[in-house]
Amino acid sequence: MSHLSSSGWKLWRQCRRVLFILMAPVLLAQNPNSEAKVRKLLVEAVLEADETRQIGLVRQLSQLPDPLVGTVLLAWRQGGVFLFDGPSGPVPFLLETQNDPQGKARGLQLVDGEALRDEKGTELKFQASDLTAADTTSRLRKAIKTSLDLLALANPDPKMRRDAVLKLGQDQDLEILKPLQERELTETNAEVKRAYVEAISFIELASDDEAIRVAAVERMGALRSLNSLSFLQKLVSDATANPKKYGAATLKAARSALKQVQDHQGWVNTVGTGFRGLSTSAVLLVAALGLAITFGLMGVINMAHGEMMMVGAYTTYLVQNQFRAWFGPSGASFDAHFPVALAVSFLAAAMVGLVLERGVIRFLYKRPLESLLATSGVSLVLQQLFRSIFGAANVQVGSPSWLMGNLAISDVQFAYNRLFVIGFAFFVLLLTYLLLTRTSLGLQIRAVMQNRSMAAALGVRADRVNMMTFAFGSGLAGMAGACLSQLANVGPSLGQSYIVDCFMVVVLGGVGNLVGTVTASLGIGVTDQMLQPWIGAVLGKISVLAAIILFLQWRPSGIFATRSRSLEG
Amino acid sequence: MKLSLKSAVAGVAAGLIALSASAAETVKVGVLHSLSGTMAISETSLKDVLLFTFDEINKKGGVLGKMIEPVVVDPASNWPLFAEKASQLLEQDKVSVVFGCWTSVSRKSVLPVFEKDNGLLFYPVQYEGEELSKNIFYTAEAVNQQAIPAVDYMLGEGKKKFYLLGSDYVYPRTTNKILKKYLLMKGIPESDIVEIYTPFGHTDYQTIVAAIKQFSAGGKACVISTLNGDTNVPFFKEFANAGLTSENCPVVSFSISEDEFRGLPAKDLVGHLGCWTYFMSLKTPANKAFVDSFKSWLADPKVTGVNYKVSVDPKNRVTCSPMNLSRMGVYLWKQAVEKAGTFDVDKVREALIGQKFKGPTGEVTMQANHHLINNVFIGETLATGQFKIIKSLGPVAGEPFSDKFLAGK
Repeated sequence: MSHLSSSGWKLWRQCRRVLFILMAPVLLAQNPNSEAKVRKLLVEAVLEADETRQIGLVRQLSQLPDPLVGTVLLAWRQGGVFLFDGPSGPVPFLLETQNDPQGKARGLQLVDGEALRDEKGTELKFQASDLTAADTTSRLRKAIKTSLDLLALANPDPKMRRDAVLKLGQDQDLEILKPLQERELTETNAEVKRAYVEAISFIELASDDEAIRVAAVERMGALRSLNSLSFLQKLVSDATANPKKYGAATLKAARSALKQVQDHQGWVNTVGTGFRGLSTSAVLLVAALGLAITFGLMGVINMAHGEMMMVGAYTTYLVQNQFRAWFGPSGASFDAHFPVALAVSFLAAAMVGLVLERGVIRFLYKRPLESLLATSGVSLVLQQLFRSIFGAANVQVGSPSWLMGNLAISDVQFAYNRLFVIGFAFFVLLLTYLLLTRTSLGLQIRAVMQNRSMAAALGVRADRVNMMTFAFGSGLAGMAGACLSQLANVGPSLGQSYIVDCFMVVVLGGVGNLVGTVTASLGIGVTDQMLQPWIGAVLGKISVLAAIILFLQWRPSGIFATRSRSLEG
Repeated sequence: MKLSLKSAVAGVAAGLIALSASAAETVKVGVLHSLSGTMAISETSLKDVLLFTFDEINKKGGVLGKMIEPVVVDPASNWPLFAEKASQLLEQDKVSVVFGCWTSVSRKSVLPVFEKDNGLLFYPVQYEGEELSKNIFYTAEAVNQQAIPAVDYMLGEGKKKFYLLGSDYVYPRTTNKILKKYLLMKGIPESDIVEIYTPFGHTDYQTIVAAIKQFSAGGKACVISTLNGDTNVPFFKEFANAGLTSENCPVVSFSISEDEFRGLPAKDLVGHLGCWTYFMSLKTPANKAFVDSFKSWLADPKVTGVNYKVSVDPKNRVTCSPMNLSRMGVYLWKQAVEKAGTFDVDKVREALIGQKFKGPTGEVTMQANHHLINNVFIGETLATGQFKIIKSLGPVAGEPFSDKFLAGK
């Protein structure tokens, strides 16, 4: 056995020699000396224990034009450089990007790019989640970032180039001015060109030449660059305090540029507030729509509505965990969990709603106040049930990658998860509208809600319709919960934090009226977001509540008053 | 038959003697932490570590030869109930000392009870200061042992703009008031300091994050967060979605320790900072011994006189600063009792001053102002839920009154 393996080893060494001879011209063409040097420096940088010296090494690396430097530095910063406990101390390595079917990959040593082997010479395979990454501190990551920024000026992705350019400009380091100006000439992308102009202007503000300063300031104003706002503000206050040093021309230019930028900022804030208001409204609408059905249309004072949302949110958690077990923690297949979770949470909450309606609520249609007591009891039971199953602490629900990040249009940011909630609110609204107006179930629902006995006399199975309506309302709440898991905490008290808002929306809109629910959520959401920048989140919330109370004094039945079964009695 | 009856009687008698002997040789100690309600998640861990410490001490012969007998009560996150339970502990159970309270409001509610009954309370959670009772010993971090060092660190990193964000209650409001004063003293203009509060359980951080985005557009900005509990989840999610990172705008949080971290999305918090007098990742032999023996105790928790069950899987358990401070409080009390030679509150209080204890973070000393001289560390969060210690600030003498420590700066 040992003989066999040793002969295998010899064979491998021979093969390696042959391989080396075959690859020699390629290696020589790449100048092996410089590559070896780069690799040596990289290893040294990763293993260095002293932070300051480590940062020095990283700076040094940024001057090497080898693509390997960028790859390794980026991996290092993101925790992708691992340490292997070798016989003679830790060996830094990267994982090969290609995985085998078990999700494991070969470890490529930083020092020579060869695969890691055990003492017998067999290649070792690793799974990223089992490894310890080489540590980085914030300062080191910042140094890596500056190095990457310098390297990134050659990045093919324009977004990365733009960030790198801006970062370099904000340091106002006159030494970087020259390389930046050189690179600007070769830049073709309009957005990155703009960033170059901004960055160069930031740096030129620190110039001693007034003409250069004024030109830089005028460029900032013309660009309406929000990034330069704080630089301009500082310049205006400095130039006002010290007119001799800066000169009148600088001050004048800075003032007018500041005005231009501030006008632009005002516009950005207005559009931003509008969007944020819309998104808060969408959250409220999604959350309250289910209640608009169970409470608004059916007249059940449904205190367990929040817990239906909780059921939906926990269902999302379970679906996500299942997808993670099947497809791993990322990738397109994993990201598909969210649409699935939305559907499953609708079904799960609808089922719970169905059981609740059959078990408790159907006995209480004639006694709405008792439905309040019964459903709050149910809500406590459900909370405790989930606390016993999942623990009192919140569970963590991740987001699919397509819901992370934002879309920026002319300095206004639209976060994808917020855009999704707005779209989803429209979708759910449309679904509800179509169900109520275009299906026979919808017709029956409306009939039963308007006059139960008459509908029953005409052959509508009122009991069944009630059951289906309540299940549908609960299902909507479940979907709302799935949606909220992307924005807020998922825990046993999730429902409690939304139930008051939901009732507020339904009551303000007018019980039993969907148009009212939409109007009310828009009104509350937009008002809340408009007030927040002025008076803060706490006072904003109080003001909105006070306004609603006053409004209900004036119109006790809400914005749109509707006659429905529950209100006739 | 006769024989066995005799032996049975003898057995019962022996049992009775043993029982009365053990009753005489115990000392009652109160544990006043919420085991239900909103604070239970945090406070249960403190109860666990206290019982563990009592067991640790009992195994080595107790205090003055007496076994510690814990009296655990549950004030249920209900502030008036804290006062009721405190007087029950002091007047009915006649405990020698109480370890307890988390929120400042609970401490404020028991304070008059302890002063009236001349009890002794050890308080282990970072707080806003501006208070000093002769009946309370604050092992907790005072503002000058957490908030001020953290801000100093940020100033040292070249940060020039500070966004003070907190939940709306006494601790963040008082801390931020002090911090603002301090920053102004350090020459940060008022226009570069923003102070914002959100209600408990706030979930909509869109406006605030958009404001931070603009605030940090010119670089050199940071966020000092006293946001409490799970509000941190929507905040950090929104923060990450807006393209903000720990590199262009780091967040220092004062209310997130390893224990809170268990309920937060680690990914969104990586690289942000914490400042405490203890981190679980400290590499000292004393800390390793503490963490290891605590974990093995959790697997089989036993302590005299208490029926005990641990609710969280021991494998996922962590240690954090309030837990370490709770444990050190017990040891400081033990040493003071041994020095005084009695459990008498007045004598123990006297003996406590100047008491030193070598804990997982090095040596701490109880000062005459009832606060500790303790070692302060800055840590950076890792994806594992642990902190990497990036700066060790050495011993800082706790001072509850801001006008005193601000005058010294």
